[in-house]
Parts: sequence; C-alpha cells; structure tokens
Amino acid sequence: MNPIIAIVQRNLLNYVRSKGRVFGALFMSMFMLVMFSFLMRSSMSGLDAPMPYLISGVIIMSVFQVSVNNSSDILTDISSGYMKEVLVAPIARTQISMGHILSGAVIAALQGVVTMICGIVLGLRVGILQILLLTAVMLVSAMTFSAVGLFLATVSRNSPAFQTISSMIMMPLTFVSGAYIPTTMIPGFLPPIVYLNPLTYTTSIFRYIALGAHTLTKQELVGQGMAFSIGGFVITPLMGLAITLLIGAFFFVLCVRSTIKVAVGMRGGGAAARR
Amino acid sequence: MNPIIQVEHFSKKYGDFTAVDDISFTVDEGSIFAFLGPNGAGKSTTINTLCTILDKTEGTLTINGHDVSRERGLVRKDIGIVFQDSTLDAQMTVEENLKYHCAFYKVPRNEVRERITFALDLVELTQWRRAAVGSLSGGMKRRAEIARGLVHDPKVLFLDEPTTGLDPQTRANVWEYIQRLQKQKNMTIFLTTHYMDEAEVCSRVVIMDHGKIVAHDTPENLKHQYTGTEVDVVCTGTEPLESALQERDVPYRKVKNKLIFHTKKAPAALEILSAHRGEIMDFEVKNGTLNEVFLAITGKEIREG
Repeated sequence: MNPIIAIVQRNLLNYVRSKGRVFGALFMSMFMLVMFSFLMRSSMSGLDAPMPYLISGVIIMSVFQVSVNNSSDILTDISSGYMKEVLVAPIARTQISMGHILSGAVIAALQGVVTMICGIVLGLRVGILQILLLTAVMLVSAMTFSAVGLFLATVSRNSPAFQTISSMIMMPLTFVSGAYIPTTMIPGFLPPIVYLNPLTYTTSIFRYIALGAHTLTKQELVGQGMAFSIGGFVITPLMGLAITLLIGAFFFVLCVRSTIKVAVGMRGGGAAARR
Repeated sequence: MNPIIQVEHFSKKYGDFTAVDDISFTVDEGSIFAFLGPNGAGKSTTINTLCTILDKTEGTLTINGHDVSRERGLVRKDIGIVFQDSTLDAQMTVEENLKYHCAFYKVPRNEVRERITFALDLVELTQWRRAAVGSLSGGMKRRAEIARGLVHDPKVLFLDEPTTGLDPQTRANVWEYIQRLQKQKNMTIFLTTHYMDEAEVCSRVVIMDHGKIVAHDTPENLKHQYTGTEVDVVCTGTEPLESALQERDVPYRKVKNKLIFHTKKAPAALEILSAHRGEIMDFEVKNGTLNEVFLAITGKEIREG
C-alpha cells in the first residue's frame, strides 16, 4: 500500500468511526443550507434566480468550513503521540501532508454532495453532468481549503489556538466571498481581500456550473458576481479555478515546511523539552 | 563484532544550552545496549537524534553505515522505535496499527499478514488483534507498541523506557519479550531504562550525566570498578572481630551486635570470617549492584527527578 493511500484510508476510517462527528457535521451543513437560503433571500434581490444563487453559495461555503475544521485532525494526532510514529517512518513530509489534505478533501466533498442533494430538494435545478462537474469542483476546492486548514493547524500547534485562528480567518473570508452577499454589493475598499480569497473563486466556478451560466457573456457574468473585472481584465470562473489551485499549491508547500517544524518541536522527554 | 551504531564527537546545543557535549560510543550488532542517566542528562536528545527527529549540532552519527542527518530515509527504514509515551493510534485496532505501520515501511504486500501474526504471537496479543487500542490495558498497549516497532524487521530497535509505569508482573513480561526477540532475530536493542536490574543483563552500559558520557563498559566491569562486596556479620560478641578488622584497617559500622564492612571482592571476606567462625551467628554477603555504580558515578539515585 502506498503511504499516501494508507494515510487517507486511516483518516477516513477514523472519521467514519466517530459517528457523532459525521452526524453533527451533516446536520450543520443542512441547517446552514435551510437557514441561510431563507434568511438571506432579501439580500439577493435583483438577481434572476435568487434561490439557486444562494443555495449554490451555501453548498460551497459548507465545503470550505468542513475542510478547514477537519484539518484539526492532525492536532489530535500530535497530542495523542501518533504523529511521532508517522514522522519517524520512512515517508516523505510531502506524502504526509498530501495524505492529510486528500483525506480532508474527500470528507468535505462527500459532505458537500449530501448538502447538494438537499439543495436540489430545496430548488436547485441541475442535471447529471452538472452534478458530476460540481462534485469535481468541490473536491478540487476542498483540497485547497484543506491545505489552508492544515497549515493553520500546524502553525497553531494546539486545538484552542487553532479554533481561534481559524474562525478569525474563516468568518471574514466567508463574508467577502460572495457566498451570502453578492460580491457586487461589497463596499469598494474590500476588493483586494475579495480577489485574494480562494473562496471567491470557488464560489464563482461552483455557481457558474450550478446555474448553467456558460450562456452568459463576460459582461453579464461580471454583473452577476461570477466573474471579476480588475482594471478591465476579466477573471473568468475557469481562471478562478486555476487561481484556487495555485493558492492550494502555495499552502501545500507551507504545510510541508511546517510539518518539519512540528517534528523539530517534538524534543521528547527530559529537560530539553522545557527549554 | 561489527558496530552497527557509531557516534563520534556528537554535540547538540539548544541556543546557549549544551544538551549533549562531545560524546562518542559504538553499539555492536546483535547486542543489548543500555543507555542510562538521570533525567535531563541528554539521553532523549541522543535517542531522538539517532532516530532522525532532531538534527545534530556537531559530530557524526551512523546507523548501519548510513548517516542519520544525510540519509534519513535509509536510517528510518533500518530502525524501529518504542517511545517513552504511547504513539499508538487509539481509534484503530491492534492489527490496523500494525497494518498501517507496514504500509509506511513498505513491507512487501505478501509478507504483511505473516509478519503481523509473528509479531503479535511474540508479545502474546494474538487474541486481541481486533480490539481497539484505546480499550487495552497499559501493559497490553506497551506490548502492542513493541510488536509494531519490530514488525518491519528493523536492524536496530530503540526502546525508550519501555517498562516505565508498568506493574512488576507486566514489566517482567515485557522484558522477557525483549530478550526473546533479541535472541530470535539477533536484533540490536538500544535501551534506556530507569530499572537497574534490566541494565544488568545488557552486554554494554553507557552512563550519561550533564551531557557527557561518564561510564562506558560491561555491567560486570562497572560493578567491579565502582562497588565492593558488603559483608554483614551477626556475632555473639563483636569485640574479637572488631579488633581483627581494625588490625587490617578495614572500616566498619556496628549496629547492635551486627558488623557491616566492605571488601573489594567476596573471597577476601572469607579469611576473616573463617578465623572467627566460632563467634558468628549469621552472615550475609552482598555483591555490588548497578544501582550503586550509578550512585557512585552520578551522585544521584536514578529514580530521582
């Protein structure tokens, strides 16, 4: 068995075994879907199809939250000591990070699929091909989000610190991503954050596919907040997906480097640990 | 015998603090090697450097001919480690723990089952293979951890205080597995322990203190060098024996009608004892222990913080 597959399999098994967690996470995604879809309806006035627009935003946003939150799994491994077993094994640090990112992404994408099914019940109209494409987008986005989460987890080192840091970062990113409030309605001083936020682009490509917006012109896409015009240059949803992957790759490199620091941090026993 | 671990002029510094200060030693292939020292002596730093977790500041450390800082992958393949604290995956079963370990160490697929069976048999955990690790007792966890450490057939097995915190019965069992393992596989075992009786059966002992090696020899030689034989004699009347001891310049202590003195070797006591056999009601001859060696060298009991 390849070490990456072994890590993925082990993490998935671990997840499935904690039934409370599976149930809780699914419940949260559905709860958010229903609540936000109805509460935020008014903020979407001026759009052709406010409900599908909102539902698709909430689905991808839940994928984001699940991915980042699940990254804290590695903190459990660090505190239980299991991480040490992995770090002294003849596996590359890239393989360890990749294993964790993949397993986190698979879990998030699966939950996303369940949320998407609820979305369809609530009024999202999508065909089979769209469902497959959306699942692929969720998996790819979840990998980027997991890389971000894993990096935050390895730098924060313990669960309480991770909770604080991750919610501090997730909240604003969620609100400027266009998932709830269309980016077209966001105040003018915020755009730099909007354009550096991977969630902005994943929301845009997800909506682009979910709403079947390929028939729209670039100008119309910009008007609907699915494409972004920066000084006349238009970032299309597909380009956005590429940017997302780039951000993911960047954080992947950071993860590998901080995993090495985790290893160094484990001085084990004796006076050395206290110094 | 071939040295499988070679450490030359190894130093490790944390900022201004020197945890390990220019130490050198070798470990022979197929031997049980004990690495002792009070807490904070630099044992864990040395083990962690050999296990590729820490990087050295200076020196050369090789395991099976591979440099631990430059050929980490190769070194990691050759070693098995049982850490002081548990590093088991509590949610997984005993078998799953070993299975994923085999995957990490690239054990050939067709050998995995057989190796797991062998390792679990050795530590007598076969009937617990499907139990979640979290539900096992402390002693069983330790055994599971030892089984996992050896399932990939390492050349060197590092055991960092493998029996600490176990009850005497379990401790004896775990130690028996370790010795059985060493015999069956001719594995090199690198051990740190707080229990001097465990170090007694090792072929070589290194004692560290304040980051330096203060003794490096066989347990027999160390005892010979640092301890003597204690003789306790209970007499009907102590005076004749006391004067005999004074004559020979042997210092002694007197507790009621018991005299306590030391000789370099046990037979030396024989002469005094046989000359006074008429007055002796009872006597006891105690050989030196490694504990006394440790105390003599470091000035501390090994169990002290």
